[in-house]
Amino acid sequence: VVVAANRVADPEGFALLLVVNVLGFVLAGLMWRRSRPRSPFGTLLVGFGFLLGFACLAGVSQPVLFDLGVLLDAPTVLFAWWLILSFPSGRLDRVGRGLLLIGAGVVLLGFIPKLLVSPSIRGSTPLAECTLPCPANRLLISDNPDLAAFFRGVEAYGRFTVVALILATLALRFLRASRPRRRVLSPVYLVWMIWLLAFGAYGLAVQVLHASTDFTHPLGLALTGARVLLPFAFVAAIVLARAYAGAALESMVRDLTGRTSAAGLERIVRSVLDDRSAQLAFWLPRAHVFADRHGRALAPAAPDSGSSQRIFGRADGAPVVAIVHDSALDEDYELVEAVGAASMLALENERLQQDLRRAVEDLQASRKRLVTVGALERRKIERDLHDSSQQQLVAIRIQLELVREQTGPDSAIASQLAEIAEELDRALDELRAVSQGIFPPLLEEEGLASALRQAMRRAAVAVKADIQEVGRLPEEVETAIYFCCLEALQNSAKHGGEDVVVSIRLWKEPHLVRFAIVDDGVGFVLSRNHNGTGLTNMSDRLGAIGGTISIRSAPGRGTYIDGAVKVTS
Amino acid sequence: MPDARPGSYRVVVAEDSYLVRQGIRQVLDQEDEVEVTEYCADLGSLLRAVERDQPDVVVSDIRMPPTNTDEGIRAAAQLRDDHPEIGVVVVSQYVDPHYAIKLFERGAARRAYLLKEHVGHRNHLMGAIREVGTGGSVVDAKVVEVLVEARTRARNSPLTHLTPREREVLAGVAEGKSNAAIASTLFLTKRAVEKNINSIFSKLDLPDDTEVSRRVVASLLFLAEQTAAVD
Repeated sequence: VVVAANRVADPEGFALLLVVNVLGFVLAGLMWRRSRPRSPFGTLLVGFGFLLGFACLAGVSQPVLFDLGVLLDAPTVLFAWWLILSFPSGRLDRVGRGLLLIGAGVVLLGFIPKLLVSPSIRGSTPLAECTLPCPANRLLISDNPDLAAFFRGVEAYGRFTVVALILATLALRFLRASRPRRRVLSPVYLVWMIWLLAFGAYGLAVQVLHASTDFTHPLGLALTGARVLLPFAFVAAIVLARAYAGAALESMVRDLTGRTSAAGLERIVRSVLDDRSAQLAFWLPRAHVFADRHGRALAPAAPDSGSSQRIFGRADGAPVVAIVHDSALDEDYELVEAVGAASMLALENERLQQDLRRAVEDLQASRKRLVTVGALERRKIERDLHDSSQQQLVAIRIQLELVREQTGPDSAIASQLAEIAEELDRALDELRAVSQGIFPPLLEEEGLASALRQAMRRAAVAVKADIQEVGRLPEEVETAIYFCCLEALQNSAKHGGEDVVVSIRLWKEPHLVRFAIVDDGVGFVLSRNHNGTGLTNMSDRLGAIGGTISIRSAPGRGTYIDGAVKVTS
Repeated sequence: MPDARPGSYRVVVAEDSYLVRQGIRQVLDQEDEVEVTEYCADLGSLLRAVERDQPDVVVSDIRMPPTNTDEGIRAAAQLRDDHPEIGVVVVSQYVDPHYAIKLFERGAARRAYLLKEHVGHRNHLMGAIREVGTGGSVVDAKVVEVLVEARTRARNSPLTHLTPREREVLAGVAEGKSNAAIASTLFLTKRAVEKNINSIFSKLDLPDDTEVSRRVVASLLFLAEQTAAVD
């Protein structure tokens, strides 16, 4: 439209500027809306983009539309001021509102009256300079050059003043801002301050000082360049915020390696957010409240308290942690999000680890209880056997002998009695072996070394033993190692082959009791049929008391079993 | 040799099982040689009876109240200090030599280790009482038999260097028998037994000792250990 009308000094340039500006602001606005859905600022940017679109009317030849285009200049400028003053929240504070009011006053008292008394009007950008002649001003009430010059002065000085005030405000805000906030502000403020400066200077130079083109032309170029960059400053703000959040996240995750206490996590969060007042509050699912690390419940954030709260939760919606931070960080959306996510991750990780640890500890305790109860039960059975059946059989055996004594050696009954005596002796031997196998009393009375030596003497195979005195150990340790060795010995005897020789060692190292059972038997393939109950029993017994065992074997290579149990002192 | 006149052995018996105690009582009641002054059922009453009756021999179970562990062995050790002249016959359910070795820890003289089930053999029990009453030692034949059997099982065992006869003689030595006793059980001359013993002790690298109570301990320890010698 603009190019076709060919009314302005540089139609292609003006058109390009408009297209770039409109597209730039709309895109920047959409980007804001997407990455900060709760901020109204994105909507403002999109709106501003569309408003700029109508500024093209200042380049058309249709008179009414042209006037409209020129008139739109005023709201456009006011909107632009609003944008920069409300950045980045999209809301104006009192100073911003005041400045906009003054700006509106300048429009009412300078711009509009100027239009009414000037013979020709035009769009305000340097590129919209009319190729002469500009169309006659249809809004003209009276052609009064003096009055026009006066209002032009009012408008230009007014604009300049407002721009100067805005610049001062922005500078002051920047200086007062916290470091994280400055990071958000700097790209936008930099570009916009250049534009404002150029804008104010150009208006003053062209409309009031009537400076030479040599002077105004480069100024105009600067103004145009800055204006092209305006929307991209907002894009840069988001990109920079994201980049910074990414870097912060990385450093935070690095700091979080290992176990981090609540205080440690809070310290990290404070340093990454650059907010010394930042606090973490942890969700207590049972109490259904957030509490800080001292256990105090978190009060709901009061508006205008200067601090904000953001809650982070798991994917299933369960809250995990809340970050209470300086409200200034509200606009550093990406950073707080990143910090929150990392904190949540750390806490969740810690919680999972704790759960896991607790589960493992519970399991360990219950296994230990189980084997302890098992050992107690064995001891009781052995005692019962000893006190009842064994004694009864022994008593019967004594009686039998007394009866045999009274029966002559040649009587018919003597050989029968001898047979019964033999049977009884066998029964006694078996019972003795059984009760010994259930629980050797020596284990309780004298400890592991004595009980093992005794067991080796009873072994059904050749045994080389090197059993050192390891002193008394906790009951469950003695029982576990004893039965482990016995199991290994029985395995060797059962599967090792005819001529198997078993070596058994028991010794002590600092904080460790160790044992090894080695045979030179036929060996076996571990993974197959032999991972049956025997080997499993051994690892179960040892595992239950926190010990370790390793079992190695291969066909033709014998079997090597060694184990270790931690002991105090 | 002990004379067999009535009441030559004053005996205190300690056994916590009523049935076994009755069995022992039945055996000893018929022995004129023995006068049992007290039947006890725990360590405390045994020690009190010893102080009161000053017996020649104590016949004691191992596992008794109060702790039901090794009361009999402890009583024997205490008597070694307080009344070295009293003989002790320990009657045990354990075939394993552990307690026998413990019993002999401070000398085998006047100590006997008998399996309970053999108490009904009048000769066994009375033999043990007489032996300890006169300074000798006895180890139940079955205890030795089991040891010799286990020891022979081991490949490279030094016992395999012994002749069968020598093994029999070694068993007799371990049982606490005198050369004369070994000779009469094995139908050998005393001279042959002595020759065998010399040969055994040199083959096994044991210190030769004619003192019966000392060589009991040496041979028992030898049979009970299954360590480095095998390598």
